[in-house]
Amino acid sequence: MFDYTVRYEKSGRAIYVSHLDFVRAFNRAMRRAHVPVAFSEGFNPHPKLSFAMALPIFYQSACELLEVEMTYAVSPDEVLCALNAVLPEGIRILSVQSGKSRMKELRYARYEAIPENMPKNVDTFLQMSEILIDKKTKSGVRETDIRADINSVVLRDDRIEMVLSSGSAANLKPDVVIAAMNRYIDGFSSGECSYTRVAFLDSALEEI
Amino acid sequence: MINIDALLKKVQKPARYVGGELNSYAKDVSRTDIRYGFCFPDTYDVGLCHLGMKILYEVLNLRDDTFCERFFAPWTDMEQEMRAANVPLFSLETHTPAAEFDFLGFTLQYEMSYTNILNMLDLGGVPIFAKDRGEDAPFVNAGGPCAYNPEPLAEFFDFFTFGEGEEVINELMDEYAAWKKRGGKRIEYLRAISKIEGIYVPSFYDVEYNEDFTLRSMAPRLPEAGYPIPKRIIADLDNVVYPKKFIVPYSDIIHDRVSLEVFRGCIRGCRFCQAGMIYRPVREKSPETLVADAKAIIDATGYEEIGLLSLSTSDYTRLEQLTDGLLEFTEGEHIGLSLPSLRVDNFSLDLLNRVQKVRKSGLTFAPEAGTQRMRDVINKNVTEEDLLHSATLAFQNGYNTIKLYFMIGLPYETNEDIEGIAHLAQAVVSAYYAAVPKGARRGVQVNISVSSFVPKPFTPFQWARQNTPSELRKKQQLLKNTIRSKQIKYSYHESDVSVLEGVFARGDRRLCAVLYEAWRRGCKLDSWSETFRMDKWLEAFSACGIDMEFYTRERGADERFPWEICSVGVSREFLARENEKARNGETTPNCREKCSACGAAALCEGGKCCV
Repeated sequence: MFDYTVRYEKSGRAIYVSHLDFVRAFNRAMRRAHVPVAFSEGFNPHPKLSFAMALPIFYQSACELLEVEMTYAVSPDEVLCALNAVLPEGIRILSVQSGKSRMKELRYARYEAIPENMPKNVDTFLQMSEILIDKKTKSGVRETDIRADINSVVLRDDRIEMVLSSGSAANLKPDVVIAAMNRYIDGFSSGECSYTRVAFLDSALEEI
Repeated sequence: MINIDALLKKVQKPARYVGGELNSYAKDVSRTDIRYGFCFPDTYDVGLCHLGMKILYEVLNLRDDTFCERFFAPWTDMEQEMRAANVPLFSLETHTPAAEFDFLGFTLQYEMSYTNILNMLDLGGVPIFAKDRGEDAPFVNAGGPCAYNPEPLAEFFDFFTFGEGEEVINELMDEYAAWKKRGGKRIEYLRAISKIEGIYVPSFYDVEYNEDFTLRSMAPRLPEAGYPIPKRIIADLDNVVYPKKFIVPYSDIIHDRVSLEVFRGCIRGCRFCQAGMIYRPVREKSPETLVADAKAIIDATGYEEIGLLSLSTSDYTRLEQLTDGLLEFTEGEHIGLSLPSLRVDNFSLDLLNRVQKVRKSGLTFAPEAGTQRMRDVINKNVTEEDLLHSATLAFQNGYNTIKLYFMIGLPYETNEDIEGIAHLAQAVVSAYYAAVPKGARRGVQVNISVSSFVPKPFTPFQWARQNTPSELRKKQQLLKNTIRSKQIKYSYHESDVSVLEGVFARGDRRLCAVLYEAWRRGCKLDSWSETFRMDKWLEAFSACGIDMEFYTRERGADERFPWEICSVGVSREFLARENEKARNGETTPNCREKCSACGAAALCEGGKCCV
């Protein structure tokens, strides 16, 4: 089988598309582009795609990553052009490479949050030994400590840059961190906030 | 352009409000003279698959002078946010407020969408009543199956279109361009289009009632206004616009697939069925056109499923040629084929085996009534033997779930007919045990889905009395008590909704006031059980002093009907003959066996349709 790694960005009207809807839209784009994607066997065959990490609805991204299996070898550049020609507004392929990616090594992701108001500093916030938030679960609301999943929070001009746990073992979304900052930083109220995923990182914080 | 980003983060399924989907049109609005808003009076999830919208969207946007955009009803959460932020109803393509359009064209698919029309106009800042619209207001118009009785909506619309829209919509736009050039008044456009065949301007008629509120007359006040107004049909379906670039939504909607319209009309003549009468005569597309269209649509959309669309797939004369042509390119491409309303025989089972290679889930049959006598009354030419034979074939081919559709509340119905539904379902269960040997049995399930009959205009049952909710509930209970087997699952529809549907289906202009009152009291999204409020509807009827039973009663043989403003091709004499035969339990052969002189052939060139 022939593996390819596809990197793409999501912006504009596409940020309102949920992950499941995106998967369907991408599969249809592959059929329009005549990309020879492989299908799984079994009762309900589906295209063989795997995503590094689902992107939450309302988030932009500059670094999305998926792997796709083809039935025969194709030119990565041709796939890139063919897909970009048929994708809906807001989804753009950045690169196609043959071979698998390092997505299994995913440990962190870098995000940018642009709030209406910036906090003065985040030092005391980051010095907290535990940062408790209310997490909704099936059995009710439970307090959870997110401190260990925050690698860094840095203020840059009008935006907050964060490196947070990402992947199957631990995953923290930046809107949860902003909610915690609203709760624990005195006098801070972020207002409406927009989010962008900027990079996927491994355990050494190297980009994947 | 309205900025809606702040609203979208507060609502469920925001993707349905953003527009800009693949294959939607984007035109330079400064270079288009006519802006047409196509409005579906229900939510995006329900409306986007509507084929009529796809067709007219394409026909209008093929014109250089016109830009057609789409509107849907927002769900309650979005409406609340819009009203709070003073955001008017906006188009999906360019987020332009509804009031800025030249036309707002609604499609009338079911009666329970009517309050949404009022709500959408109000949310769009467009006066709800036609008489209140100023010179700059959009022309609010409607078409679709429920427009065949436009009277319950007459006061809200500037005009209606009867019949198929592909040609007449261009005539309306041409006339608009000419009228704009002349610089005429609003009423002058309406006078001009009332000369176009198929166009009805309700404000040009004086409606009078008898003392018992039955219709006395609908008198045209202007020489241009005709009575009755014939519906429009497309003579040659192989030479009419069919869209290839179907809009592919971002979000999950119903029937998200390629719809391939195979033919219009129906040869069957079931007496309860409005579609089978109003879409006559039968006109087929050629398999060559259909296969080429299907390929082009798959290329433009990437869809994984093709659904054939018609009133009765099995009656397509070249079905084998069509499915062979389709399977030739769908097999191996992981594209599924969905074949609704297929009669089950050896040919179709072979076909189903090829199409649904995997899961043999269920098959659906529509005997509609429980006894042979009742099936003869409604002219559903299916015998118990046919059904059991089909079921046996299906069971032998590995199917073990069968769904059966029935109606209750039909004219001339007795308790025996209701009990017959349970007996027929039981016979299907027994057919499983006879067809499948003991060791091979995996358990059988027969699902019976029972709806309440609603008498519709332009059918042989347009004279019939509709059952009251309490009569329907009694019949539902009787059926429930007659079912013995655990293998039979029974589901039924709310009787309140059926009665309201019946009132508006055979309604008159006096119902405009009721509709307005119901909307004012908060009725909207009535086809959704979570938003339907019968109590508000009852209040509205009582506030207007209008009795629902006036509309559900049996109609007099010589009574004039409000919907007879439209001439659908099928004559009143034919419908009366069919009603008489129903009373006597006599059947009528289908159109290919013998012409029953329904009148629709007059719409065809040379006055000849099926035979």
